[in-house]
Amino acid sequence: MTTQRLLDIFTLMERLGRESSNGIELCGVAAEFMSLDGAGIALVHDGGELSSLCTSNETAKALMELELTLGEGPTVDAGRGDAVAAANLIEAGASHWNLYRPEALALGVRAVFGYPVRLGAVHFGALNLFRCSPGPLDTDQATDAYLMASVIGRAILTYQAGGSADRLVGELNGSSMLDFRIHQAAGMLAVQGSMSVRDALVSLRAHAFGIGCPLSELADRVVTRSTRYAPETGKWLLEPENSRDPQ
Amino acid sequence: MTFGEEVGGSLNRESLLIATLIELADNLVDDYDVIDVLTVLSHRCVEAIDVDAAGVLLASPVGELQFVASSSESMTVLELFQIQANEGPCVDCFRDGLAITNQSLDEADGRWPAFTPRALAQGFRAVHSLPMRLRGRTIGALNLFRTHQGSLTDDDVTLAQGLADVATIAILQHRSSMDAHTLNAQLSNALNSRVIIEQAKGMICQSTGCDMDEAFNRLRAHARNHNEGLTDLATRVVAKSISPSDLDQWMKPIRS
Repeated sequence: MTTQRLLDIFTLMERLGRESSNGIELCGVAAEFMSLDGAGIALVHDGGELSSLCTSNETAKALMELELTLGEGPTVDAGRGDAVAAANLIEAGASHWNLYRPEALALGVRAVFGYPVRLGAVHFGALNLFRCSPGPLDTDQATDAYLMASVIGRAILTYQAGGSADRLVGELNGSSMLDFRIHQAAGMLAVQGSMSVRDALVSLRAHAFGIGCPLSELADRVVTRSTRYAPETGKWLLEPENSRDPQ
Repeated sequence: MTFGEEVGGSLNRESLLIATLIELADNLVDDYDVIDVLTVLSHRCVEAIDVDAAGVLLASPVGELQFVASSSESMTVLELFQIQANEGPCVDCFRDGLAITNQSLDEADGRWPAFTPRALAQGFRAVHSLPMRLRGRTIGALNLFRTHQGSLTDDDVTLAQGLADVATIAILQHRSSMDAHTLNAQLSNALNSRVIIEQAKGMICQSTGCDMDEAFNRLRAHARNHNEGLTDLATRVVAKSISPSDLDQWMKPIRS
């Protein structure tokens, strides 16, 4: 689904990507897109541990380091799948992060938000947003945060699958992230290749990029058993004898 | 959790409705799995209203409509719900917040060029879509399909809207206050639950050689037999903490 807000994200990605050294400026995009004071993105690894992917400025960096050190805060909660909002950290009851709250306040941060970056059972990461003045996100910002988290999830997957920024734009314009066939296919591939569903989601994309096939079409072929992955050779096999009819 | 025993086909409509309401009320005071409740609700629509398939589509916080539960898990029916991420009666119903009732597919006249031919090809002739509304915001739509022409009665439409409202309450997961942040989180969680279930279905399908339909039914049967949430069980399948081959077998119900 291409909306004006998604096009706004593309424009920001292009501009900030040109200015950055590695061509990827997701945190800068998030902070500017959301009109907030900063953003950080953490990756969630298989065992559930977090690492920082990027931060948009020095405060964002300090805030992220705080969470990774203390093991609590909005990014930690979001990494487990919970969207959280603490609109005024000055109020003692605003959060259950007893260690994090005073340290975040000392950095000048007043409101923090965390959004999960996930696809089904796979937790890829978490988006942290903050502001140096108290107050909740308005309705548009709250919607934008979900759009941004979805873009980040697809960006992480696309880059892990070896795709470029162009691929990412193609993917975001294309099939829905919730297309059930892609997830069924990832589940099947996980069993075929004895890999995690996380790795299967990446492999599926990598193969789709490699053969120049839309992801949803490859997923359809996996689900109808006309394509399968052979772990013994690491190759994808066509099964032409299988019908393309849905099972 | 006693939710979701099949309600027998011999009950008259009034008894069926009472049984359904008691069943739903019983469950909504307890801990429950939202996909499971919406699946049961879809089944009850088919039993209580003169329709042949029912399904619930929810809007993501960003406004994308996605399928979450259905009376049938067959791939062809799921496809009809999936296609409505882009066009179809649910999209129109969601956008306008207004019910679409008794829309004959034979007379849809290019209104839904991708949806209509596929629905007709599957034998459906008429479609209805009821908005799921919460305090001025439409959060999704209940979709009903019929294989024969003819109109739903006013009573049918009232009942269908009532069930759509129950579905809305189920999404809210017994929260007393529902601000935008919490509602977005609940919608996002419900949609993500469905994705977890699809990932688990793929694993079950590949491991046991069954089809997607049976994979869902096995998940659901096992979750019920062991008093576990459907989404929790699907999460364990994806995390490989339970093997698909250890899931209970599903016995196809004998239906008249």
